[in-house]
Formats: sequence, C-alpha cells, structure tokens
Amino acid sequence: MARGHSLLAYAAGRAALAVPMLLILLTAVFFVLRILPGDPVLALWGGRNPPPEVLERSRQQLGLDRPIWVQYLTYLAGVFRGDLGLSIGETYQGEPVIAQIALRLPATIEIAIGSMLIASFVGIVMGVIAGARRDSRADVGIRLFGTVIWVIPIFWLGVIFQLIFAVWLGWLPPHGRWRGTDFPDPVTGLYTVDSLLEGNFDHFVTAVRHLLLPCLTLGLILSGFFMKTVRANMIRTMNADYTEAAHARGIPERQVVVRHAFKNALVPVVTVLGLQFAILFAGAVLTEKTFSIEGIGLLLLQSVVSKDMTMIQGIVVVYAAIIVMISLLIDIVGAVVDPRIRL
Amino acid sequence: MQKRMLWTLVAVIVAAVIVVGAAAVLLTAPPKKYQLELWYNNDGHYGDTEDELATVLKTSIEACGKVTVTLRAEAWAEYSQSRRNGELSAMLMGWYPDYFDADDYLSPFLLTGANRWAGSFYGNATVDQWIADEQSTTNIATRTDRFTKIQQKVGEDVPYLPLFSGYSEVAYVSGIQNVELHPISFKWFIMDKPGATEITGSTIDKIESLDPAVAYDYFSIELVNQIFDTLLVYEPVNVTLMGGLAEQVPTAANGLISPDGMNYTYRLKPGLTFSDGTALNATVVKRSIDRVIRLDDPAGPAFLLYDTGKLGRDPDNGNNTPPGAIEVAPDDRTITFHLSAPVPFFNDLIAFSVSAPVPWDYAQDGRQPSTAGSVIGSGPYRLTQHQPLQQFVLENNTLYHSPNLYASVGIPWIPVEDKVTINVRASSTALKNDLTVSPKLADVVYRTLNVEDLRDLEAQASTLGITVEIATSPFIRYMVFNVDPAKAAAVTDLRVRKAIAYSVDRQAIDRDVFDGNVEPLYSLVPSGFPFTEPYYEPVFQTMYGDHNCASANALWTELGFATSFGPQELIARDV
Repeated sequence: MARGHSLLAYAAGRAALAVPMLLILLTAVFFVLRILPGDPVLALWGGRNPPPEVLERSRQQLGLDRPIWVQYLTYLAGVFRGDLGLSIGETYQGEPVIAQIALRLPATIEIAIGSMLIASFVGIVMGVIAGARRDSRADVGIRLFGTVIWVIPIFWLGVIFQLIFAVWLGWLPPHGRWRGTDFPDPVTGLYTVDSLLEGNFDHFVTAVRHLLLPCLTLGLILSGFFMKTVRANMIRTMNADYTEAAHARGIPERQVVVRHAFKNALVPVVTVLGLQFAILFAGAVLTEKTFSIEGIGLLLLQSVVSKDMTMIQGIVVVYAAIIVMISLLIDIVGAVVDPRIRL
Repeated sequence: MQKRMLWTLVAVIVAAVIVVGAAAVLLTAPPKKYQLELWYNNDGHYGDTEDELATVLKTSIEACGKVTVTLRAEAWAEYSQSRRNGELSAMLMGWYPDYFDADDYLSPFLLTGANRWAGSFYGNATVDQWIADEQSTTNIATRTDRFTKIQQKVGEDVPYLPLFSGYSEVAYVSGIQNVELHPISFKWFIMDKPGATEITGSTIDKIESLDPAVAYDYFSIELVNQIFDTLLVYEPVNVTLMGGLAEQVPTAANGLISPDGMNYTYRLKPGLTFSDGTALNATVVKRSIDRVIRLDDPAGPAFLLYDTGKLGRDPDNGNNTPPGAIEVAPDDRTITFHLSAPVPFFNDLIAFSVSAPVPWDYAQDGRQPSTAGSVIGSGPYRLTQHQPLQQFVLENNTLYHSPNLYASVGIPWIPVEDKVTINVRASSTALKNDLTVSPKLADVVYRTLNVEDLRDLEAQASTLGITVEIATSPFIRYMVFNVDPAKAAAVTDLRVRKAIAYSVDRQAIDRDVFDGNVEPLYSLVPSGFPFTEPYYEPVFQTMYGDHNCASANALWTELGFATSFGPQELIARDV
C-alpha cells in the first residue's frame, strides 16, 4: 500500500513537471520563430506579384498584424483549449494545425513503433551476445556492425534497401503506405490496427509489407546504439558479484547470462529508451522522405521551409508531449522495476 | 669624404630597393576585381539545382577575369523578405505566368512601384506608358510595337537578365496515347491506354485546395482543371482558346467584345449542369465570380479577377464586384463582364481555374472542403476518392456537358478513360521507382523528375518499355539586378549590368546543370508559345550574346577593372 502510494506520488510529481516544461518549450519556440528573419506572408507570396493591399489583407487575415504579445496570449489560450491554431504556410494555409498533425501522426507512429521493435530486438540480441562473449570474434564483429550501422546515413541505407528489395528482388513495395485504392476503413489512422479492426488480414499484410523497409532502415541504424548500451551493461553485470556467485553455485552459463546478467543489464537500457524515441523522431524525417511517407517529420520539414510558424509550434508541442509521455512512462516503469529510483 | 660617399651609396641603394620593390608589388599584385554578390534560394523553392545553377553562373561571369562573384543563399522566407527590402544586389528568380499573355512576362517586372516583389525597383515612365498602351488594346500591331519597345528597353537598361526557359517532363508506359505536355494544363482526361478503362499516375505535387477560389498552386489547378470546366478552355495540344461552358470565344469580330475592350459577353451552352445534377447558368457563374472576389483567400488568386481583370472589389457591395460589373441579361444563359478598363487578355483570365463556376450550395463564407463529395464541378471527371496526402481518384462525370468537345481535334470522346488514380509521392526517386519496379506502380509519371532521375529513365526507356518526353515550359528563370539608387546594395552603374549580361553563358547552364533540357532565354518574353511568339524579341542575344568576354572586358576596362597595369590602377576607384 505504501509502495503504491509512493509510486503514485512519484508519477504525479513527474507529470506535474511536464506542464511547465512544455510551457517553457512552447514559449521559446514561439518567440524564436518570430525573432528569426523571414516574413511568412512574403514567403506565401514570394514568387508572385499581388497588389500591396492583398499582402496587407493576408497579414490581417493570418493575425500577423497584431502585437506579438497579443499573438502569444491568443495562441497560448488556444493551446489550453486544444486548439493549435491555423496553418499560415503555403501548402496548408488556413487548415487547422491539429487536423494536419492528426492526419500524419499515425504514419509516424507506425514507423516509430516498428523501428523501435527492430532496433530493440536486433540491438538487445547482439548486445547480449557481444557482452557475454567479450573479445570473441562474435563480439568484434558485432561491435564493428554497431559502429558502422550507426554512422550510415538513413537515406543512403533506405535507397540501398529500395534498390535491393523492391527494384531488384521485387519482394517489397519501394515506398508509400498503401497500394491500390482500397484503403482500410479509417478508425485510428494506423493501417495495421485499422486492418485488424476490420478483420481483413490481407489488408494487414499489405500494411506490414509497406512498413518493413522503412522500419528496417531506421531500426537497424538505431540498433547500433542499443547494442553498445546492452553490451556495456552486460559486461558490467557479467562481472558483478551476484553473477560470480551464480557461477560459483554451478548454475549453467546460459542460465547465468539470461536470468542474472541480462535481466540486470536491461534496467539502464529501459531508461535510454525515452532518449532513443527523440532520436527516432528526428530520424523519421529522413525515413519519411526516402520512403514517400507523409508523416509528421515531412510536415515539419515543409513547415520550416515555408516559415509556417503555427505548424512548427504545433509539431514541436506534439513531439515534446510524446517524448514527455514516453519519458514519464519509462520513469514509472523504472521506478517499479528499481524502487531505489523513488528514494 | 669617403664617409659621405658611403652614405650616398647607401641612400641610392635604399632608394633603388624601394622603387624596385614598389614596382614589383604593383606589377605582380593581382588585378583588382569587381565584387558581385549573387543571391539564390537554397531550400528547394526552385528545385534542387539552384546550387549548381548559381555555381555555373559564377564560373561563367568570373571566367572573363574581371569579377569575383560571391554566392550567398537564403531560405525562401528570408529570401522573399530581403529581396523585397532591397537588401540584395543580384539574385536568381523564376516566374510562371498567371495568365497566358506576353503582358504577364513584362508588366509585373517593370511597372514602377509594382515590381518591389521582384527586388529590382526598376522604374521608367516611358516604359510604364508603353505597358499602359499594350494593356489597353487588342490591336496586334500596337501591342507588337509596344512589346518590342519594352523588350528593347529591358535590353538597354538590364534590370533583369533572362537566363532560360524551364522544361516539363513526363514518363509513361509506351503505347499510352494523348499524353500531352500542354504548356498550361496537363489533361488526364484525354489520355488513352489501349484496352484499359483506367490509368494510374504519380506525382510529387501537393494540393493546397480544390476550391477554385483558393487553388493557386500547380497541382491544385491541374486537378481543378479535370473536375471543373471554365467558360473557355484550351485545346488539348495547342494553347488556343475554345468554348468550354460558353458557346464561343468572344472576339471583337464576333461582337462579343465591345469596341472599347471593356465589355466581354459569354453565351453559355444550353442545359448545363454540375456533376451532382444542379443547374449551371449565368446567375451561378456570376455568384461564383463574386464568391471568389468576396472571399479573397489570403493565398488565392482572386486579385487576378478584381485587380488584373479590372472587375473590382466593392466594400460597399459586401466585397463583391461593384453593382453592374457582372450582368446576367437578357436571359440566364448570357453573362457580360463590364471592366473598369480594357483588359486584352480577359479571355485568358476567364479560362483560368479561378473563374470556374461552382454549385450554388458551395460554402459562401469560406473554403469548400477538398474531400470527395464536397468537390463538385462540371468537368469531365468527378473526384470520387481523396486519401489526404496519398491519393486522388477521378471518375467519369456521366453528366459532362460536352463529351465531344475535342472531336474536332481528333479526340472523339472525353474523358477517354473511366478512372484515373493519382498517387502522391515524396520524391523524384519515388516517381522513378514507380516505373522501374515490376510490376510498375504507375502508367504515367508527371512532375517532377530531377535531372538525374530523368537521365536514368531515358537510359532505361527501351528496357522498361516507357516513353520519356520533355517540352519547354512557360516557366522562365532570370537574374535580377537591384537598380534602386537609394539602396546600398544596388548595382547602379549600367555598365556593370551590361558587362555581366555579356559574361553569362546560357549554353553552359543548359549543358552543365540541366543536361540540355532547358532553352536559353534572351528576353523576359519566352519564345515557343502562341501567346508570346508574335512579340518575342531576343534582345539579349542580339545585344550581348553568350559569354562575350571581349565586350564585357571592354566595359570593365572602362570601369577601371583592367588586367594590364596602367596609371588608372594607381587611382582609387569605387564603382
């Protein structure tokens, strides 16, 4: 009971901290975007020749003629109501930011989760093998793989995979999220989930086939970091007193590695998961571009180019909120797994 | 005595060393060069070749030996702002006309006070008058005369330096017919895939909106043109106007344009309906035009009607056109536009997507959603599916008013295919892959393949069974000189602008940047289109040529930037 209460208090404390954190981030992004050179209205009309009154009217309609503090307060009030404002960029001008983000977020979430699964699986398996057999040939080979894969540019690996698996072998689709016009009925926007919800296994297979190459690309690149983290922790736990004690008790090596060393090595790995998600979202921009997937990363890229300030603010808030939620979740999991954290 | 001689000798030696040293320094010092800052956009507004284009330009200008070009780049938002503020000396720009008349290649750039957007700040009262003259008459002889004079003056004053006409490209499965790189409107509804009832296409373009009042980007306009008809339309191959919803094209000869060029009358075909079966008559057309002008979407092309088209926007009339500007009379099939000044290209504005009639029930206070079911037009296709960011499905509009519209030009029935599916990709490579994978993911790939992917597809065309076509586009690229004497960055000395005009090498741009796909351009008015051909004057070819270093260097010498050492090099210069 005491433990449950303490955990709840810990989680509540962490969640309460997230609010000012998001507010500070939002404020910083809001003002930095307005300090930077570049006029969004001129970007909108940059290559055209409208009369000056049209420019002025555009500025009024987009609310950019008001004092910056009025814009800030209006925007902030909107955010607290769940309204992230209207896009002021070239492509989505006048569209609600939240709607555009909602449209794209499922694609990015699918890539993020798929990539994280691949990164975790490949990274953990390799890390355990390398850590358990330190300085063996397998260890050297895995370390080399980890270093090389971590420095390979995402777009390059993506293009190579497209060339091999889509163009040469024809096994997987080269890009996009879907083929044909028979899309799954939209419920969550996650094609894998929506396919299962409508009970259409063929649709599910189609969705997974489209996810494989982008997730493999991003997942493999991230696996290098996981592998190194797991390996380092495995080495530490393999040398720990409790492992030596297990060895001394005559417990088989496999059991020592899996039950004692691996379990304890995994605790710090869980903690870096949150950080990895941040890197993963950054990587998603290039993955989405390479694989023609209209996710939130591509939207951010387009918004920066067109100086779509409200869209950039919205995306940063959503990114931050996701990272904060994941960190919170991981903190809680960490606190459950290792009670010392709550002390 | 000996001591004095010794000192004299030392003094002579020191003096000799100083003189010889000074001469050596002066004679061996690199000649002073003119410093030019050339600005360009580096975040893809003009595609991914801008770095190369700027570099080739720099090389060709520097190759004459008298200029050092420093390349500077900015993202589009900053570029637009600093250009408009007059902070840039010379810059690279591009222009796609809003309406297809030679005027749109000249007046936006030259009219005093109205060309701030372009960053040149050029102003000349005589040129302004010539523009007013050509804008107020349909007389070919008068317009030719004024356009010739204007182009000549641009050549003399060099506020702009035309570089090249862009290109459009399409790649498609061999055997598909009527894939036309029309300079104005790419028509999916005329394509014919033998033995099939549907076509799949790919693009990397995105839509802003399928509401004609808002659509002002290439792909939105392209789709609007498949779904909506305008009073006038363009022929499938040529850019000749013909009746669309209207029975015929107004001309002075048929009396549908008044002698003063200020009244245009259109007679609608009988029994017109939208794809949902609702009526399309002259009252609906008037309501649609008023809606565009009243909404005046912040990023839309409404100004082409109320400002360029001289229809006006009246705050006292609810921001619609002024009372009487659009008249529906004597019946509901006849509509007359009364302009506040003559507009010789008004027919082109009426053929532009912004003038497409929309149903009576369309949103009157804001944008109509771009979802299937909300987009209702009177064109050959209906939008039956729109998967945002991914796919558009167009299907036969069974109520289309004129399936035999193009029968006279060899296409007996439109739309030819019952269904067109257009998938949206994120990159040129993705478009290429649509044709290189097996089975192919697209029948037709249209816009935009970069130079490398285009080259790859051309090299594999026979193996893949595809056809690649390239055509000159109305899009032009040019260099702008800031000529405003009040701006510190301005290049005010005409001789400098002329010397640079002599130096640029358009052939090198075509060869080294675009693989021979672009057309060197020698006037702001491009050649090769019926709407520009009568007026095209290659003034920059006749006056400057390409990479004419001898003439450029003669000017540089006059300006004091000579390679040889002479007395003038001892005098401080500042140009």
